[in-house]
Amino acid sequence: MGHIRPLLGKEFLDLARNKTTLVPVAIVTVLSLTLPFGIAIAIPAITGHALGEDSDLVRVSQIASAAPSLSDDGRIQLFLFQQFLMMFLITPVTGAMALASHAIVGEKQARTLEPLLATPLGTFELLTAKVLGALLPTMTISGMGLALYLGGIAIFAAPGVGGAMASMRTLLLVALVSPASALVSLQAAILISSRVNDARTAQQFGVLIIIPLAGLMVAQFSGSIWLSSAALAAIGIGLLIAWLVLTFVSVALFDRETILTRWR
Amino acid sequence: MISARHLTRRFGARTAVDDVTFDVGRSEIVALLGPNGAGKTTTLRMLAGLIAPTSGSVAIGGVQLTRATGPSLRMQIGFLTEAPGLWDRLTVRENLRVYAGLYGLADAEVRIDRVLELFAIAERGTARTAELSKGTRQKVALARTLLHDPTILLLDEPTSGLDPEVTRSVRMLLEQRRAAGCSILVSTHNLDEAERLADRVAVLDERLVAIDDPAALRARLTTGRTIIRVAGDPSAYVAAVRSIVGPAVDVAIERSTLALQLAHPDRQTPALVAALVAAGAQVLEVRAEMPALEDVYVHLMSAAGDEA
Repeated sequence: MGHIRPLLGKEFLDLARNKTTLVPVAIVTVLSLTLPFGIAIAIPAITGHALGEDSDLVRVSQIASAAPSLSDDGRIQLFLFQQFLMMFLITPVTGAMALASHAIVGEKQARTLEPLLATPLGTFELLTAKVLGALLPTMTISGMGLALYLGGIAIFAAPGVGGAMASMRTLLLVALVSPASALVSLQAAILISSRVNDARTAQQFGVLIIIPLAGLMVAQFSGSIWLSSAALAAIGIGLLIAWLVLTFVSVALFDRETILTRWR
Repeated sequence: MISARHLTRRFGARTAVDDVTFDVGRSEIVALLGPNGAGKTTTLRMLAGLIAPTSGSVAIGGVQLTRATGPSLRMQIGFLTEAPGLWDRLTVRENLRVYAGLYGLADAEVRIDRVLELFAIAERGTARTAELSKGTRQKVALARTLLHDPTILLLDEPTSGLDPEVTRSVRMLLEQRRAAGCSILVSTHNLDEAERLADRVAVLDERLVAIDDPAALRARLTTGRTIIRVAGDPSAYVAAVRSIVGPAVDVAIERSTLALQLAHPDRQTPALVAALVAAGAQVLEVRAEMPALEDVYVHLMSAAGDEA
């Protein structure tokens, strides 16, 4: 385990010298911030039409378990802000996907993998450092975005919305489901990266991982499902178990011989 | 000490290394010589525990190299890969610092200073490796290989593409490591380097064609001819030579030399020199004809090809 830290340090240094890699996550974070405030606050203010005037929004927002003291506008804002919170599930995944996809195949192509494997570094340590190296920077950016998001809600949203957002549901989404889904996605990307010999192929496969998350988001937006705190906790735990299984599978399938001798 | 026993490695139907057995002793440099695709890199990778042999075994310091012992044995091994394998966006020091961490070195900075000074690249410590020349990159890779004071050095073409000055400094360094007790296996295409550096040369062409010290390898192809170099026209002294060796012996004139096969070199050579001097010749050199290592190598490889 002691070998993870130096390799992780290398990942951060490398990233610090190649900041453009983080541009996608920054863009998604900015979109995650501007879209909800644009829809829930700015557009009604500009057009002069309150959110509560839209009967469909009023109906759909009923599924959000809002405090009875909230106005129609407040409840719809709460519903929208809760929905857009799901964007922060995708943010670290999209941002880190490029990093994770390149993790192993990138080292191989740069011919830096072989000297690395000649050290006492174990496969589990290598793969864990790669996952964390992709996850932590993007989670940091995503976390900063989230802080701005919650701060913005407290300042700009209708009275009571900020307080209603500070719920167990939000906590579970932010502290459990988001990092767990990112871990699963990135571990899968690392697994793919160690099984294909071309970074583009790894990235193509990696992007597929976003589909179930996007599906979940769309389902919530359409009002088809509303994930309760219990459901989110179960999803979070399920994702963590999936991550552990994927980690085990990644280590088992990491074929250093093929990587060294067949990849060009 | 490195001990390889009956190492065989197949990739599908292709055999890369076939039943190779050799040892590299303490304070010994063995050069692994062979054409492209002869299995040199595969052999080094098996010895470093990066790939497993299809059959056969490797022992490092008497301990069998296995999946379980690999990580601890790799602490004793310094493996220089064919490409320097440096992270381009990191500086020289940062590259070395990562490896110091991977080897768990407590005194990382001291060791980094030491290896950088060893290769005279201390002033390049803060340079990004992408900015370095090929020679300097190779020095950094070598510095990384020596960072943890390994007792086993496995070096894949360490001087490939380097200028003569850097090559010389690498050679000197390896001699120092040998004196310090390291077991060193160097793969190379460079026959001159093998001859200058190695205590023994292993000629590999999928299987081990020969392993011996360079002089012994050359002796395998010794013609037994004696070469006498004289000042002036050598044909003027053929009669003097024949007076000693008799008319039946073929005396070849090759530029400024006389070349002939002596039945009893130890006894006949002094008489031959005396006769030449008496005939007025200025004898510049008398030596037994020895083939170059290159000739031996070509001979061994063609013999190996014929057998196959």
